[in-house]
Amino acid sequence: MKRIPKIAYLLVAALALTGCAPASNNTVVIATHDSFVISDKLKSAFEEETGLTLEVIKAGDAGALTNKLVLTKDDPIADAYYGVDNTFIGALRENGVGEPGTTKVIDYADVCFNYDADWFARHELAAPVSWQDLTLPAYAGLTVVENPLSSSTGFAFLITTIAKYGESGWKQYWKDLKANGLKVASGWEAAYYTDFSGSAGKGDYPIVLSYSSSPADEENTVALLDGCFRQREYAGVLKGAKNSSGAQKLVDWMQSKVFQDSLATAMYVYPVDKTAFIPETWVTKAPRAKSTLGNELNIDAGRSAWLKQWSDLFD
Amino acid sequence: MTRRLLWLVPGGFFGLLFAWPLVTILAKGFGQAWVHDLFDSRTSNVIWFTIWQALASTVICLILGIPGAYLLYRKRFYGQRVIRALITIPFMLPTIVVATAFTVFQDRNTNAVILIIIAHVFINYSLAVRTIGSNWAILDKSIDEAAALGGAGRLRIAWSISLPQLRGSIISAGATIFMYCAASYGIILVLGGGNVHTLETDIANTAIGLLDLPRTAALALIQTAISITAFAISERGSRRATNFDDVADDPTKERVDARDWPVVALTATIVFGLLVVPMWDIFGRAFSDLNNFTLLTSKGTRDVLNISVIEALLNSFRNLLISTAIALVIGTLIAWLLVHTKLGRYKSIIDVILLLPLGISTVVLGFGYLITFTPSSIPLREYWVVVPLIQSVLAVPLVTRIVYPSIASLGRVQIESASTEGATGWQIWRYVEAPQIRHTLVTAAAFAGLVSIGEFGAASLLAFGDQATLPTVLYSLISRPGGTNYGMAMAVSVILILFTFLVVWVVSSGTPRRRRRIRNARA
Repeated sequence: MKRIPKIAYLLVAALALTGCAPASNNTVVIATHDSFVISDKLKSAFEEETGLTLEVIKAGDAGALTNKLVLTKDDPIADAYYGVDNTFIGALRENGVGEPGTTKVIDYADVCFNYDADWFARHELAAPVSWQDLTLPAYAGLTVVENPLSSSTGFAFLITTIAKYGESGWKQYWKDLKANGLKVASGWEAAYYTDFSGSAGKGDYPIVLSYSSSPADEENTVALLDGCFRQREYAGVLKGAKNSSGAQKLVDWMQSKVFQDSLATAMYVYPVDKTAFIPETWVTKAPRAKSTLGNELNIDAGRSAWLKQWSDLFD
Repeated sequence: MTRRLLWLVPGGFFGLLFAWPLVTILAKGFGQAWVHDLFDSRTSNVIWFTIWQALASTVICLILGIPGAYLLYRKRFYGQRVIRALITIPFMLPTIVVATAFTVFQDRNTNAVILIIIAHVFINYSLAVRTIGSNWAILDKSIDEAAALGGAGRLRIAWSISLPQLRGSIISAGATIFMYCAASYGIILVLGGGNVHTLETDIANTAIGLLDLPRTAALALIQTAISITAFAISERGSRRATNFDDVADDPTKERVDARDWPVVALTATIVFGLLVVPMWDIFGRAFSDLNNFTLLTSKGTRDVLNISVIEALLNSFRNLLISTAIALVIGTLIAWLLVHTKLGRYKSIIDVILLLPLGISTVVLGFGYLITFTPSSIPLREYWVVVPLIQSVLAVPLVTRIVYPSIASLGRVQIESASTEGATGWQIWRYVEAPQIRHTLVTAAAFAGLVSIGEFGAASLLAFGDQATLPTVLYSLISRPGGTNYGMAMAVSVILILFTFLVVWVVSSGTPRRRRRIRNARA
């Protein structure tokens, strides 16, 4: 009878390792996309103010986050969500995932191309003026974008092209891009930090699909500010949340000055509160887009067909 | 009679944790337009690519594996056993580690598909060598010798005498390799960079990315059909049960000599270039900066992880203990019942049921859990134990396949006399059978542990928030390689490689050697 007790000890030890304590109602859990950043100082400010403990679950990019929330709506993985953007919020609404009336815009960001100005100077090549230029032979093999199937940034650009060229024309533009040596990366982090030459990753591609605010943190990169997509990020309370009052407090707090002030430096997004802090350098290095495209499209109705057509072109 | 009732335990286990979620997900697809989905251009492209990349990987594995099997099993040389054990390591590594190892060859000029195929060969080379070699080792040598006396060269002997006799094992190895390559997930995900799609990645993408349940179900059905077909072919090809123990060497085997040099050169190149270099490279990168290891207490650059790597390690360790314990108990119970109960025609049904978890996509199963175990049924999804449970489902068939031949081959005399003396089934197992197959049980536990520690597909769907496991944090780190994340990914890989070494060492060091047995017999 030696073997069995040994296993039992191991099991007990394993259970002890995890500290099987159930989450108390003093905890509020928020599901976010992977790019969410909150400083320890800010987190404890929230916890002191409300007496709640904040737990963050990163659930993938905006698309994966949305779909996981939809799939687990009967048994939500969190109490609140943040980071579902205007390309996905319709899916939450349609499926009745959020508590009605709690959905609030927290911030926005403009999806624009960035280029590495040093690279273009070194190669004595004129930088592109708009993203329509990217199909020109001069820019062959220089551009990396994110895959619209797996990245909300990539999907945002797909929408811009549909808004610009219409249902009949956008596929030709993408075919031209593909023929011009476009690289498709799986997500923003891979595109920006691995493939883009202007970031710390020092990759091979001097043009990347990113945000109007990305150059704020780089030495010499420039965003193309025309024909961008404005991504609005939402927060809200999940239906069936174990701690919905805590979740409501959290969503309210995210609209408060103290959190809004932190957004620009922490996540490179524009706070929705116009009086909130934005670093001075952003005026010159990371201004908002001059013009945006695509917000008028019915994104929920079109999404699956567009993605299917896009993947027919690229797979 | 009571013994038969014991079947309710594994029956209930599989019914609840395997059949139910699987049927739930597949049922979501039926009755809708899934048949239409089977025939659209995207689906047929994905099916075609899945099949041809798996076929290409399989053919390369076999071409390279046959000379390796000859050298490592038919011939004799010093250090043979060590090399045999060493080459199994890539096969046992978590696939996400293999994918990480091959990311170092990624740049704009490398073709993702070629890299994927090389990674598949890296993983499955030893499977070809082992399956074919263990059969080659026991082929009658006298025919070869006669042919050699008649003037036939070695190549000619291999081609026209040995290979036809090895046909069954070659088909079996090929079908098994094909099955693994067709179901590959982590490799395609990481090395394909989101631009290469097989059924498995498309299932995940359709489910999580597009929320298209009918199409998910359609793809899952095709994937399952391919796996089961391949598995059936492989079972038909091999009459011997899958054997994870090393074969006993025949001491009269011929030594390697000068005429074998092409085989030696080829195999040495593969073992060194294909197997050693990528692993060595990971060690080099991980240890190039010791901070890679101290940083494991952190959540990575820009906090990409929900928990620190150390916490994920503890999760993985906890999951391993639980899933291995469950898999060992249930898997051994099934093996024991297969030997000790009369099943008649039901035996073949049980065989098939036991095959299914090996062939089913872990992504499909994980997805099934996600939509089945909700508060309106059993709210299992909410609890961390869901991950070790699904891992134990995946490991049970493996345990049974390892343990069954050992129990079946035990001498009947002792068992029968114990039985006539009035010993219960439990007493027979505890005092007669278990002590004799201790090493097999350790081997089975080791393999179940490997399944748990390396499992990625299901964990990536079910391990939310603070429940991340080592493979899921490794994937997060390698797909967001900025800052210190890349170095941390290398360090995590090193930990998983060392763990695999440990398991291989435990399994192979306990293998009874023929020589030792002979010596004991003399003493």
